[in-house]
Amino acid sequence: MRKPTGPFTLSRRSLVAAAAVAPLASPGVLRGQTAGEVIVRTPGGVYDDVMRRHVYDPFTKETGIRVQPVAATVARLLAMFRANNVELDLIDTGDGPLVTLERMGALAPIAYDQWHWTRPDDIVREVRHEYRCANFIYATVLAYNRESFPNGTHPKSWAEFWDGAKFPGPRMLADMASGQPNLEFALIADGVSKDQLYPLDIDRAFRSLSRVKPHIRKFWDTGALSAQMLSDKEVVLGSVWNGRVQTIIDRGAPLGIEWNQHMIQTQALAVFKGARNGANAQKLIDFMLRPESQAGYARELIYGPTNVKAFDLLPADQLARMPGSPNSRESGFFNNVPWWEDNRDRVNRAWSRWILG
Amino acid sequence: MQAGSAAVVLETVTKRYGADTVVDAVSVSIAQGEFFTLLGPSGSGKTTTLNMLAGFAEPDGGRVLLAGRDVTRAAPRERGLGMVFQNYAIFPHLDTFENVAFPLRVKKAPKREVETRVADALAMVKLTGFERRYARQLSGGQQQRVALARAIVAHPSVVLMDEPLGALDKNLRYHMQVEIKEIQRRLGMTVVYVTHDQEEALTMSDRIAIMNGGRIVQMGPPRDVYEAPENAFVGRFLGEANLIPARRDGLAVASEGGALLESAHGSLGAEGGFLFVRPEKVAVAPEAGTAPGGPNRIAGRVRFAGFLGNVLRYEVDTDQAGSLIADLVNGPGAVLHAAGDTVVLSWSREDCRLLPG
Amino acid sequence: MPLSRLGALLLLAPSILLLVFVFLGPIGWFLVGSFAELGSLAEIWEETRAVVGSRAVALAIANTNWIALQVTFFVLLIGYPLAYALNRARGLAFSLIIIAIVLPYFTSVIVRTYAWMVILGRNGIINQMLLGLGIVSEPLELMYNRLGVVIGMTYVLLPYMVLTLYAAMKAVDPRLLQAAEGMGASRLGVFLRVFLPLTMHGVIAGSLIVFILAIGFFVTPALMGGPSDIMIAMLIEREIELTQNWPVAAMMTVVLLVVTLVLYAIYARFTGGRTGFAR
Repeated sequence: MRKPTGPFTLSRRSLVAAAAVAPLASPGVLRGQTAGEVIVRTPGGVYDDVMRRHVYDPFTKETGIRVQPVAATVARLLAMFRANNVELDLIDTGDGPLVTLERMGALAPIAYDQWHWTRPDDIVREVRHEYRCANFIYATVLAYNRESFPNGTHPKSWAEFWDGAKFPGPRMLADMASGQPNLEFALIADGVSKDQLYPLDIDRAFRSLSRVKPHIRKFWDTGALSAQMLSDKEVVLGSVWNGRVQTIIDRGAPLGIEWNQHMIQTQALAVFKGARNGANAQKLIDFMLRPESQAGYARELIYGPTNVKAFDLLPADQLARMPGSPNSRESGFFNNVPWWEDNRDRVNRAWSRWILG
Repeated sequence: MQAGSAAVVLETVTKRYGADTVVDAVSVSIAQGEFFTLLGPSGSGKTTTLNMLAGFAEPDGGRVLLAGRDVTRAAPRERGLGMVFQNYAIFPHLDTFENVAFPLRVKKAPKREVETRVADALAMVKLTGFERRYARQLSGGQQQRVALARAIVAHPSVVLMDEPLGALDKNLRYHMQVEIKEIQRRLGMTVVYVTHDQEEALTMSDRIAIMNGGRIVQMGPPRDVYEAPENAFVGRFLGEANLIPARRDGLAVASEGGALLESAHGSLGAEGGFLFVRPEKVAVAPEAGTAPGGPNRIAGRVRFAGFLGNVLRYEVDTDQAGSLIADLVNGPGAVLHAAGDTVVLSWSREDCRLLPG
Repeated sequence: MPLSRLGALLLLAPSILLLVFVFLGPIGWFLVGSFAELGSLAEIWEETRAVVGSRAVALAIANTNWIALQVTFFVLLIGYPLAYALNRARGLAFSLIIIAIVLPYFTSVIVRTYAWMVILGRNGIINQMLLGLGIVSEPLELMYNRLGVVIGMTYVLLPYMVLTLYAAMKAVDPRLLQAAEGMGASRLGVFLRVFLPLTMHGVIAGSLIVFILAIGFFVTPALMGGPSDIMIAMLIEREIELTQNWPVAAMMTVVLLVVTLVLYAIYARFTGGRTGFAR
C-alpha cells in the first residue's frame, strides 16, 4: 500500500512477503475455459470475501468469466510494467497509485461506451476519469474514545485535536509510510480553510505538526495498526479510516467518530494496458459499478458508493454515515490526488527531516 | 604400609551406575613417592577409581584420603592434585606457557613465581623455547610434555595420570615412560597411573594393582605380579603365558594330556587348575630321543617359528599339553628351529607355578 | 583432488544457479536499472552524495547502528545463558527450550508484534499488573518508543544468537572443563578461563549475524517504535513503495549492502578458520 492507499490495503509487509515467495497465480491454470478469466489486484483480506459475495461470484455466474484476486504492492505493479511483463488485468487500489501508473502510460482507457450494466452518467462526476473510475469512497476521520471524552466533550475540529492541554491523552496520526501524512489536518488545525488547502503549504503543515508531536504516541502506517491502537486504548484520539473504526465500533468498542473536517478519498479501478484479459477486465468494472453490486459491498465495508443509484438501495441511517453522501460533502473535503502524486517525493523528504530532526 | 605415612588411601571405595557396580570395594594405600599403577582391561573400573580419587566422581561407598585428610566429598579443586589427562586436554585457546601456567593462575600465584615455575617445568620436560606455541603447532609428543609440565608445575605431592601415553607411537612411548619416571624420582612425587598396557605398567611402576570387573585381583611389585600371578587372569593379562590345564593325580600333578608336571610354587584348586609358565622360562631342545624323561618335559612339533628380533618365538603343538609358546633369547649360539621340527620343551619347577582354576 | 573439487562444484551448481537467478540477478537488475535512470556517472555520484549526505539519512544510519548495537548487546546478554542452559539440558527440557525459541518463527511478524502489544501496551498485561500491584501509578511506556524497538528486535533475533552459541558450546570438549576443574579452577574460573574463551568465536559470530540482520530491520521498528525510531531500511522501503524513487532506494541499498558485506567479511574470518583461535 502506498499512495493514498486504500483503506483495505493489506499490510505492506505481508504483501511484500507474499510477493517474494509466491509468484502470481499462474494464469495458465484457469485458461482453457471458453469465457476466460480476469486477474484482479485487490487489497486482499476481508475485502476479497466481501467482493466475492457481491461482485465476483455473481459476475462469474452471469458471464462465465472466472475472477482471480491476487495481492500485489504498487511497487510490484510498477516493476511488472517496467519489465514489460504484465501479469494481471484489473487494478483495484487507492486512487494515487493509479495516477502514477496513468502518467507512466501503463493504463488502458476505461471503455465507458461498452458498459451495459452501469450507466456511466450515474457515477459521481468527480470520481469518473478517462483511465480510472472510483468504486467506492472512504474518509479519514477524527476518532475519539468515548470513555475519555464522554457526552460530547471530545474535540470537534482538528484545531481542538491539536490542543493537548484542553483535550489531554495520547493521540495518533498517519505516518508517511501509510501513503500520506495528515498534512491537510495540520493546515486546518493551523487555520487554513478546508477549501483553500491545495496546493498544500508543506513547511507550514510541518510547523503545525511539530506542535502536536509531543502528544503523538504513534504515527500509524497501516489501517490494522490504527484500529488496534484505538481499540487497545493506546491512544484516545486519532485520525483513522472510517471503515476501520466503524468495524470496531460495531463490535462494541467505546469509540466515536467526529465527522467534521474529514477527508474524502477514493478507491478506484483501472485496466493495465496490454493486459491479457483486458476485455474481461472492462466487463468486470462495468459489473462492479452497477447499483446492486455497489450497494451490497458498500453496506458491508461501510464505505460510500460512487453510483448515485446505489444510494437509493441503502437505508437512511447507513447513508448518513457514508463518505461521499451529501452530508459528507458538506462537512468534509476531497483529497487532491494529483497534488499528492506530484509532491509525494518532496513530502517524503520533508517528513524524514522532520521526524528525525 | 601404615596409614599415617600414606599419600593416598582408598578405603572400600565403591561406585555404582544403576545396577552395575563398576568399582567394588577397592582398598589401596599408596606411599609418599610411590609410582602406583592401576592396570586392567577397559571396563575394569580403573578410570572410575581414578575419577573418584580426582573428585570427578563421587563414591557410593567408602572413603578417599589424601595425606590422611578425608576428601571423599571434596571438589576436585580442593584436592591439590596434579593431573595428566587422556588426550592431554591441552587448552586450544592458550599457548604452551599459559597452559602450563594454568594451575598457578587459578591460584592467583604472583607473576614472578608463575614465570620461574613454568620455566622450570618446561625445562624439565625439555620444552624450553616452545612457550608461545599453541597445541595445534605441537607434535603429539610435545603436547604430552605440555600436559606433563602442567601437571607438575604447582609441585603437587600427588599426580594422577590417565593413560597419558595412549596416543603416542611405540618408540615415543618408551622415551616418555623413561622421562616420566625420571621426573617422578627427581621430584619425589607420588604418581597414580592408569593404563591398560602391561609393559608400560611393568616398566614404570613401583607397585601395580591389576583390576578386573571392578575389583583389584592382585597387587604387588611388577616382578611379583609378573612372575607370581595368583590367578589365571593376572597371568594371562601380564604378557604371554602358558597355562596348561592340570589336575591332581594322586600326590603328583598331571596335565589333561597326561604329562607329569611339577612346581615349587602355588597350588591347584579343588577342581584342578593350571600350571603357569612364562614362554621365556621354557627351554627348547632339538631331539626328543636325547632328552631325559621327568616332570615338566613335553615333546611336540614346531607349528610356527617367529623371529621377533631379540627374541625367537616358537609355537609348539604338543599331544600332552596342547599348544605351548617358548621364547628364546636371540643370543650368542642360539639354535634355530624350523616349523615342523620335533622338539622337547622343558622348564624348571622353580620357574613355574600352580594356579587354581 | 581435481575430481572431488569438480564433484563439489557440480553438487553446488543448483544452489549457485538459484542464488544467481533469484538473488544476484534481481539485485543487479534493480541497481543497474535504477542508476540508469539517473544517466551519467557524474549525476549518479552527485545524487548519491546528496542522498547519503543528507541529514535525514545520516541520522537514520546512526539510529540504525545504535539500535542494532543495543539489540545485539541484549540478545547476547539473554542468549548466552539460554544457549548454556540448552547445552546442558537433556531430553524433555532440551525439546522445551528449543520449541520455545523456534516456535515464534512459525507465526508471522505481524502476529508476533500484535502479541507484544497485548503484553507491553499501555493497557497491556505488564502495565495492568504493575498498576494493580500499586508499583506504578501511571502506565509505563513500554512500546512505541526505543525500548519497544529493542524489546521486539531482541525477541525476534534471539534464536540466531542462541543457535549459533549452542553450536559453539556443543563443540567445547567437556574434558577440557573437567581438566580445568581438576587443576584447581573454581566454577567461575572454569567458565571465565576456559568455557568463555572457547565459545568466544561463537559470541563474535552470533553478534555479527544479529547485528547484520538488525541493521536491515524495518517491520519491527515500524510497528513497535516511536515516531523517531527510523532505521535505514524503513527509508529504503518508503522510497520503493511510496515514492517509487528507485535510484535513491538503490543508493541507500548500496550503502546498507556495503556495511553488511564488511561485517560479513569479519564474520567469515571468525568462522572460516574454525580452529583459529587466538592467532
